[in-house]
Amino acid sequence: MIHDSILRDRLVTGDKTSSDVTRDILRPILNNPSKSWKIGFTISVIFLGIFAISLFNTLWNGIGVWNINKSVMWGWDITNFVFWIGIGHAGTLISAVLLLFRQKWRMSINRSAEAMTIFAVVCAAMFPVFHMGRVWVGYWALPLPNAFGSLWVNFNSPLLWDVFAISTYFSVSLLFWYIGLIPDIATIRDKVTSKLGKAMYGFFSMGWTGSTRTWARYELISLILAGLSTPLVLSVHTIVSTDFATSLVPGWHTTIFPPYFVAGAIFSGFGMVASLLVVARKVMNYENYITIGHLDAMCKIIMVTGSIVGIAYLTEFFIAWYSGNEYEQYAFANRAFGPYWWAYWSMMSCNLIAPQVFWFRWARTTPWFIFIMSIVVNVGMWFERFVIIVTSLHRDYLPSSWVMYSGSLTEVGLFLGTFGIFFTFFFLFAKFLPVINMSEIKSIMRNRE
Amino acid sequence: MSNNINYWKGEDELSKSKSFVSAQKNEFHDDLPLDEIFNEESIELKANRRDFLKYFGFSVTAVALAACYKTKIRNAIPYLVEPEASVSGVANYFRSTCGACSSSCGIEVKVREGRPIKVDGSVDSPISQGGTCSVGQASILSLYDNERLANPLVNGSEQKEWALIDATVLTQLNALKSSNSKIVLLSGSIHSPSTLKSIEKFTSAFPSLEHVSYDAISYSGILDANETDFGQRVIPTYKFGEAKVIVSFAADFLGTWISPVEYSKGYTQHRQPGVKGGMSKHIQFESSLSMTGANADHRFPMRVSQEALYVASLYNYIAIANGTKQIPIPSQGELAGNAIKKTAEVLLKSQGKSIVISGSNETEIQQIINGINMLLGNYATAIDLANHSNQFKGSDKKTAEVLKGLNNGAIGGIIFYGVNPVYNHNGKEWAAGIKKAKLSISFSSSQDETAALCNFVCPDNHYLESWNDAEPRKGVYHFTQPTISNVFNTRQAQISMLTWSNALVVPEKDPFASKAILSQKFHASAFYNFMRDNWAKVLISNESFNAALEKGVLLEEPLVGIPAYEGKVDGFASYVLANSKVSGIEMILYQPVGVRDGAHGNNPWLHENPDPVSKVSWDNYIALPKSLAVALEISEGDTVNVTLGKLVYAGVPTIIQPGQANNTISMALGYGRTHAGKVGGSIDKGYNSIGVNGFAFVNNTGNRNFVIKNVEITKSDDTYNLAQTQTHHTIEGRDIIRESSFEAWKKSPNAGNDKAKTHVYTIWEKPEYRKDGAPNHLWAMAIDLNSCTGCGSCVVSCSIENNVPIVGREQVLLRREMHWIRIDRYYAFRSKEGNLTREDEIANQDKKGNHDHWQDVSVLYQPMMCQHCSNAPCETVCPVLATTHSSEGLNQMTYNRCIGTKYCGNNCPYKVRRFNWFRYNDNDAFDFNFNNPLGKMVINPDVTVRTRGVMEKCSFCVQRIQEGKLSAKRQGKSPNQVAVQTACQRACPSNAIVFGDLHNPESEVSKLYKNERGFTVLEELNIQSSVMYMTKIRNNDTI
Repeated sequence: MIHDSILRDRLVTGDKTSSDVTRDILRPILNNPSKSWKIGFTISVIFLGIFAISLFNTLWNGIGVWNINKSVMWGWDITNFVFWIGIGHAGTLISAVLLLFRQKWRMSINRSAEAMTIFAVVCAAMFPVFHMGRVWVGYWALPLPNAFGSLWVNFNSPLLWDVFAISTYFSVSLLFWYIGLIPDIATIRDKVTSKLGKAMYGFFSMGWTGSTRTWARYELISLILAGLSTPLVLSVHTIVSTDFATSLVPGWHTTIFPPYFVAGAIFSGFGMVASLLVVARKVMNYENYITIGHLDAMCKIIMVTGSIVGIAYLTEFFIAWYSGNEYEQYAFANRAFGPYWWAYWSMMSCNLIAPQVFWFRWARTTPWFIFIMSIVVNVGMWFERFVIIVTSLHRDYLPSSWVMYSGSLTEVGLFLGTFGIFFTFFFLFAKFLPVINMSEIKSIMRNRE
Repeated sequence: MSNNINYWKGEDELSKSKSFVSAQKNEFHDDLPLDEIFNEESIELKANRRDFLKYFGFSVTAVALAACYKTKIRNAIPYLVEPEASVSGVANYFRSTCGACSSSCGIEVKVREGRPIKVDGSVDSPISQGGTCSVGQASILSLYDNERLANPLVNGSEQKEWALIDATVLTQLNALKSSNSKIVLLSGSIHSPSTLKSIEKFTSAFPSLEHVSYDAISYSGILDANETDFGQRVIPTYKFGEAKVIVSFAADFLGTWISPVEYSKGYTQHRQPGVKGGMSKHIQFESSLSMTGANADHRFPMRVSQEALYVASLYNYIAIANGTKQIPIPSQGELAGNAIKKTAEVLLKSQGKSIVISGSNETEIQQIINGINMLLGNYATAIDLANHSNQFKGSDKKTAEVLKGLNNGAIGGIIFYGVNPVYNHNGKEWAAGIKKAKLSISFSSSQDETAALCNFVCPDNHYLESWNDAEPRKGVYHFTQPTISNVFNTRQAQISMLTWSNALVVPEKDPFASKAILSQKFHASAFYNFMRDNWAKVLISNESFNAALEKGVLLEEPLVGIPAYEGKVDGFASYVLANSKVSGIEMILYQPVGVRDGAHGNNPWLHENPDPVSKVSWDNYIALPKSLAVALEISEGDTVNVTLGKLVYAGVPTIIQPGQANNTISMALGYGRTHAGKVGGSIDKGYNSIGVNGFAFVNNTGNRNFVIKNVEITKSDDTYNLAQTQTHHTIEGRDIIRESSFEAWKKSPNAGNDKAKTHVYTIWEKPEYRKDGAPNHLWAMAIDLNSCTGCGSCVVSCSIENNVPIVGREQVLLRREMHWIRIDRYYAFRSKEGNLTREDEIANQDKKGNHDHWQDVSVLYQPMMCQHCSNAPCETVCPVLATTHSSEGLNQMTYNRCIGTKYCGNNCPYKVRRFNWFRYNDNDAFDFNFNNPLGKMVINPDVTVRTRGVMEKCSFCVQRIQEGKLSAKRQGKSPNQVAVQTACQRACPSNAIVFGDLHNPESEVSKLYKNERGFTVLEELNIQSSVMYMTKIRNNDTI
């Protein structure tokens, strides 16, 4: 006889059987798209169109259609880049780190979190690629053997490290996600009726048979990839932070950046996961799989990482004062009380102050409130990057070059457009692939741990 | 009991054979064929026949496709007969005379493949002394202005045949002659002996023709005063180099006044603390903060309308000391801090070694100034009337008479030569007058405001296409020689006049012309022959004439002596009293350093180069004192309505100008052109004017007065943003510029520069090429902040030399000007609590309700360009190594490699990197000279024109370094003899920039690097900049 642990809440509620799971989760895939899906998808495609128009404008006329200038040479573009890369962190953290720590509650959310990671990295990659003045020769940033003479890349440049970090992160995440999908794709293959569906799912299931041998390999590769991904969770944002930390711009030149960026990334990543799942569990009737317990756990992580980020903000201030470096001191005073004070205080209130509400259980267990908070978190994290990038550059060493900067319509269009990319992908994913890992969730139907 | 039945899958399992048991333990019993893969004998490509055909087919197709691309064929056509002394790729230099204004600086024109591409000062010219102003630099672009008239115009329509025009003009001139109707030739100030001679021929052919000189910016006051006092209607030669004390009443002599390059060169001689005889003292009284005022040791805000009182008081203080008669005014006028009295004391200590000048156009004030200089004995030394200046001769009174004569029908014919009174005089009346005249001719090279109303426009050549001479100072002759044949169907005005007066020696017919073999003998310009004849008595042989041309300058022995002074000033008391009581707001109209009087209104380089004081480009504006701005509740971006009688200018943009005297406002002239062209504004072509025309406010009766009293000013509802290249104006207390005073410097030569050296550590060894005694060059620059006047000539020079694109107002508003060198300008306010250099300190002071500290401003200029750091922060962050270091210490930019991540720009602590946000050539959005084939002729072929999406910056003129090295090598000189001047250094009229090789101990830059005043900016970052600045020393200890 099997006994349920009475110490823990069930990870899946509603007394589901394995066939219930398959039926529930495959419902959107096997049936025609719902009305809400159609509306959502249409809106996403419209935003995708905004992206296309903005990108066309940028490429056709030159990045002069943005408002970046002689002093602030990175603006919304790199802000958006770091923002999306940050969001892309939760997926790997949930799938890899929580897998290694055997946090089984991750199983119902890891699929969508991983998908989110991949789509977010795609969105993020748009910016470093298209912020290049001559994007058509962007491949020169890759260490490719070439016929241009002895030209090679500069391994000293953090931008080159970025190239490696992000491409590695993207490929490992994609692989991890896809490997995890194979058993579920095989399930779909067996269920779909259309010829095309059979062929496609058949192809992507890679001949999955469900034999012990394949399961064993599956488990092993998952573990290996988790092991590979875990350092990546830390490394990617560490590298991204060196884009700033290795420079000598006051406000960027800070050794605290790597841990502070990683914490911020996890913070924003969980914020995004929370916003998506609160909506998804409602719309797709997955309340039994993505339970209040999940939301509770995520809120705790948000609160912890938010506080870490907040401490980092305060530490920066302290160090700026303690350093005795007038440029550093001015940069930080200028953040809080200069012309961009509104951005700074938006960041402080969204990232440090607001998440403290999660000390209260009610706040962690009320989905609508969590949704609002998750948006607040992401707004705050966007402002954090804006504050770091723009307020540091707009007033650096020589006051003669101090300028103001605000994004142009095209820059705003590109940012909104990346949401189009993200949600178009996400809606397609929700339609054609299982949002919850069926095979794994079946292993925790009873809390056998 | 249970049924214990064993099922078996095969005989092996049943019999439990050894091999089966061992295999059963291994779930994955089939080994991967790894060994096979890795043990292949050779990993070389082994192609079978099919593969070979595939590869072959692909390659052939790819090659064929690639070959199909049709590239544009550009033919390089060799010279059939190579012009003498012209080698492709090698520049020729010709001495000539700048024609941008009537100061007539001697210049050196750089010509490449028959195209003049750069103008610089001639070191042999006593006027330019090797320097140039920004206007002179930019004037080369006017040559390639595709909006110049391509053909003469008759009643607005083109007439390509000069002979036909000549016939019609001559008929009309003769008709006027026979009816004895008066004809006026209204010209700018002309001091060219040959041109004057040709005008003489013209007047003798038409006796009713009168020649009148008119200057848009009038110096009639000085001229008339000297006529009264000395019997000579001339401007003296001011030798600022001789003066120990310089007192200027609102004369911007470094920026725009009379001959700024000459004066800058003289002024700078005594501005270093180390010079023999000590540093000079410069005291400036003015209302608007001029560039000259910005350089003064003491600057006192004054209402210019009250100038008479202050000048008279200064006279009286000196008269008291000298025991001569005073101007009988009841009490002496005085400014804050007893400035006038103290100035008198300082002047009295340097009698005979000082200069007192005034920018006023009032004869009375200039006469008092003459009196002061006479009392001080300055005429023997610093002010030279014997060898006087000829640069300005215009008479306001005569011009006014011409206008009157035109309107009452007394004048039947009018000819405009180099003047545009419809724009810069009383426009409406001139327009009406020109219509009344039977004959109106303009020699303007473009369809300007005046030319548009004339019957005939006979476009004059650009000065770079002309033969000419000049006598800017008595006994100083400059020659102008053409450096390109006529770009358009234009003709020198002198030739037109000589043709009409039938005084032209027609050159011989070329017998070989039909064979297209051209020779100088037969194709010399008609005016060349005329000029040659004119010089026949002085320069008899062709050799001596050619030598004079080659040098560009011919100097006569200077005259000695002071003309007799007949001036009396004691009668001016009533004049002084009448001008000492003022109320209301007065407006000062001034020439901006860029477009000056507006004649260069279509020159985009001058519009893009920001004003040295306000750093505003592409506009004029009302400069307000803070107190008035507070009273009118005006803040940045607000506009005002300016009213003078019936004249109303609505929505004029404003800036709050530190240093602007209370109750005064200022506006630059030279803007608001309606017939300049695409850049400056053209009604006909549908281009908006830049700025508004200040000449409309000028009262044209008597001597034209540019100080307008009782102007009304109200806030307007409109807003307008001015395109400033610098938007933060205080230095925030940072150690970026070091300064000290002359007394402190005398005690210790490193005064102000004695801060403890920052401790910088490095784990890296010094690179080989930087070590002392390394065999390579190590290029570096030294900039003397005491010499730099902030004029911006270097900025234009650099733009021309390095093909820096012009981007226009919209882009400057987005803070995207492309200048490789800029001049940072910082204000410090003096208040009782000490110097205010921080924004928050100033704001705190403002809160106290008193804004006097805004008047009392001290200004710092700092030229800033790429510092060519040894540890360059830009270099490490480029992912593709597009910016690297050379073994000669240069920070290089490889445009072809740049992918445009812009990280280098962010990481540059000096923010000197410029990004090509758009394609600035062949782009209709940037319709400047890079957008038309003619304008592109000014491009320097030694420098790449950058494409969209790449970073650029100062290269220390690497093309000049390369040229210098090559020519030294060719001439077998040692590397230490490589002489390279950067474009900014070459242009500088105050010798502030020195460039050279640090590994040559004899080089000037090496010596300056050892100077106690030397410091580098942001030294503490250990980026090891290659530009050394010299501490600013002000002679302001006592007054």
